[in-house]
Amino acid sequence: MTEQRFAAGFLFPGGLWLLAFFLVPLGILLAISFGYTDDLGNALYGWHPENYERVFDPVFVPVLLRSIGFALATVALCVLIGYPVAYYIAVFGGRRKSALIALVVLPFFVNYLVRTYAWIAILGDDGLVNGTFDTQIRFLNTPWAVIGGLTYGYLAFMILPIYAALDRMDPALIEAGKDLYGRPWLTFRHVTFPHTFQGVLAGAVLVFLPAVGDFVSAQLLGGPDEYMVGNLIQQQFFAAENWPFGAALTTIMMLFLLVWMVLYLRSAAREAQEVTA
Amino acid sequence: MSVDVARPSPAARSDAVPARRRPPKAFDRPRFLRLFTGLFFVFLFAPIVLVVLFSFNSSRSLQNFDGFSLRWYERFFESESLRSSLLASIEIALVTMVVATALGTLLAYGLVRARTRWSGALNVVMLVPLVTPEIVAGASALLLFTQVGFQLSLTTIILGHITFSISYVTVVVRARLATISREVEDAALDLGATRVQTFRLVTLPELWPAILAAGLLVFALSFDDFVMSFFTTGESPQPLPVRIWSAIRFGVTPTINAIGSFMLAISLVTIGLALLLPRLLGRRESGMGVLLGREGA
Amino acid sequence: MLDGELNRRELLRGGAGLAVGVGLAGCGVGDTGGGSKAAVEKPIKKKVDGDLVYFNWAEYIDPDLIKGFEKLHGVKVRESNFDSMPAMMSKLRAGIAYDVIFPSAEFAQRLISGNKLRKIDRSKLDNTDLVYSQFQEPWYDKGSEHTTPYTMYATGLGYRDDKVSGLTGSWTDLQSADSGGRNFMLDDFQEGIGMANLVKGYELNTTDSDELEKSLGYLKGVKPKLRGISSDPITNMTSGSAWLHHLWNGDVVNIRNQVDNPEDFKFQKNEEGIPVGSDTFAIPTNAKHPGTALLFIEYMLQPEIAARNVEWIGYPMPYEGGATEAFAGLVKDDPEIEVTVDDLANGQQFENLKGDGRVAWDETWTEFKAS
Repeated sequence: MTEQRFAAGFLFPGGLWLLAFFLVPLGILLAISFGYTDDLGNALYGWHPENYERVFDPVFVPVLLRSIGFALATVALCVLIGYPVAYYIAVFGGRRKSALIALVVLPFFVNYLVRTYAWIAILGDDGLVNGTFDTQIRFLNTPWAVIGGLTYGYLAFMILPIYAALDRMDPALIEAGKDLYGRPWLTFRHVTFPHTFQGVLAGAVLVFLPAVGDFVSAQLLGGPDEYMVGNLIQQQFFAAENWPFGAALTTIMMLFLLVWMVLYLRSAAREAQEVTA
Repeated sequence: MSVDVARPSPAARSDAVPARRRPPKAFDRPRFLRLFTGLFFVFLFAPIVLVVLFSFNSSRSLQNFDGFSLRWYERFFESESLRSSLLASIEIALVTMVVATALGTLLAYGLVRARTRWSGALNVVMLVPLVTPEIVAGASALLLFTQVGFQLSLTTIILGHITFSISYVTVVVRARLATISREVEDAALDLGATRVQTFRLVTLPELWPAILAAGLLVFALSFDDFVMSFFTTGESPQPLPVRIWSAIRFGVTPTINAIGSFMLAISLVTIGLALLLPRLLGRRESGMGVLLGREGA
Repeated sequence: MLDGELNRRELLRGGAGLAVGVGLAGCGVGDTGGGSKAAVEKPIKKKVDGDLVYFNWAEYIDPDLIKGFEKLHGVKVRESNFDSMPAMMSKLRAGIAYDVIFPSAEFAQRLISGNKLRKIDRSKLDNTDLVYSQFQEPWYDKGSEHTTPYTMYATGLGYRDDKVSGLTGSWTDLQSADSGGRNFMLDDFQEGIGMANLVKGYELNTTDSDELEKSLGYLKGVKPKLRGISSDPITNMTSGSAWLHHLWNGDVVNIRNQVDNPEDFKFQKNEEGIPVGSDTFAIPTNAKHPGTALLFIEYMLQPEIAARNVEWIGYPMPYEGGATEAFAGLVKDDPEIEVTVDDLANGQQFENLKGDGRVAWDETWTEFKAS
């Protein structure tokens, strides 16, 4: 048996599983998106492409734009906070590198909801911060609270790829860079950052895509003006019992995210080819 | 920047190969970075500390710590329904871990070693769950089970969890697989081993740290999962995170903090295993290194 | 290795998977229809026939009472929770066989008209005469044959007496009273639109498109003055984010249990109208252990049991005797929180909206949330 055929056999179990339990459900979702609901709230199949027209109703455009905006802000914050931390651990962590990275990841294993409610206790108007410093700062129910919540939730996804990229980098490169450029900042700009750019990009994708569809942060930490597309979708599935419209919204959102993912994959593939060339 | 005109010291001159282990010279005093990272960890752990601290509070208050007590943990373990939720979560995570790791490892091997017409598409299909919002994955899973008439139960939760976990395993194992030189496998074949034997006796042992790390990652993700579980859960017992969601709207009770802390403890053990087991089993690498795709820690 | 090349062929193959899904969808068998009359009418023998599969809001029953029931009849109670009526419906639609469920009044009516709830011969249950007379022939369940009322509640405004001023007893206080910008509306389409309808002087359940449009206008005007729209009134008020909150009367009782200054938390019923609602409990037609379920309903009707439940959940249960006294005891300093007989008579109740009406309400609310 050739290696090709041997290895190809390996593709079947996982591939079939994903087909059956991931693609097929998405297909059903797609079919439902053209359907309608009856009096009992059941979703039925039909041909109602107007569900898709409704997605682009001007009323929803701000919601869509806002979601993208919040997600982008989250990515930016994650990079600004995550890169220095990843750099410190990768370059100065020494023997404690693994432990430090484990510490970064650890909080994400406390239940997401419990963590968010803890933040409410800390930042609330009568919470720890306002209580201890005797201030009246209103943290919650603001756009920044939502972005903060999102950042807190996805920071690990940015730190890990950047750390991996930094760690893989040959320290000799940095040395050479310093000889060439002298100043730390220039070295960073011309040597370190370009070499870790793929890591930053990977992190950006891993943060941006889920953040767009997030609903928990906006629901718990936001005000009425922080309504995101994730909340809109959740509302259709849970409160309004309008699964067809929820499915249409979901399909559009997934298509949007897929475009970015494909672009990223192409860029990563090109980068891989350049490195090996 | 001053130019050193004096004779370079003998030490500097003989210093030709950059094989130093010291951190780079220009960053010898990373005070800012150290402070930044320190602050970062403070913010990262602030809510965790709060949760754990107040789970030991002797009073109900979430503002004042009135003394140390284990009563909320007692409540947690005394409650039969909470106990069965805990057991359900563990059971789901264990089964998911085993199946997803197996499927994901096979898939990784196939994607790396086989160059079929399907590989490209399958690669994308494998990556999509990683970026699919959970609400989409959950809603579509529920639709599937409803349409096909499959009763919701622990089984459906497990099916849903496995589906989103496979991708994590594949990504981790694949990174590791890429570093395994084919020459060793080729050598085994030359020596008369069948392909199956080669896989079993040569490739798999090399992959083992990655498989282990990926498996533990899957366990932790499944244990803490909420959205997918919420959609696919049948009648009781419901997994712990679903219980928390339902109950937390009525106010965060210290019992909830106790549950959260307990789940943290379990995850700690899991990560600890991920880091230490490979070393204990005689490997040079740590699990964390493997998770991040480095050849050696 | 990492092949980013996606040519047309491969996209097509990936799409094949989706197509299978769409095709399968066509021959899917979801539970979309109504149940059979026979299953509804079959009489239930009041005896233990297995464990109780129980489906309710979380924290909506005293856990000690569950334990008590388990001991009394030697059965186990398997509990699961929903966090909204539509979530309950989607689990029911998925075919899960619960023994006792807790739909709100409008959803009970829906289930009854779909033949999903079994008939209960109430004459066989002890203490059934304690149920308030207003619930003997409720609008949602003729003859009260399928459901038993569980709790009742009124919607109003919860507020901090020590922080809020300028209250006038009207729904408009939500945005007009001086609440330091810490005011919240309920994230519930019925309560939100209903409140607007009451303020504008319309019927609570109007589906007239002109009226709905005006209510939407009113809501849009209120929105900028709100701090949030949330269904977590307890968390919001206990954390200090809210000093004024659109909520249900039982929430105030629960909030008071969690703060150091309960006397500062009060409830206001508003002059334009008081929405009164109720939650019921019932036995679905596909229940596997209806006998045990019937015993459970009887168990909850007992005055001492109901009284303890009231004290735990903080909501009034509409039974004479123990339950009524218990709630009166909880709110003796603030009778405003009570749901009085007058409220039941005059308060408006949310109806089960159908068809175009329901679509109109959904769209109104969706537009309000997104605007």
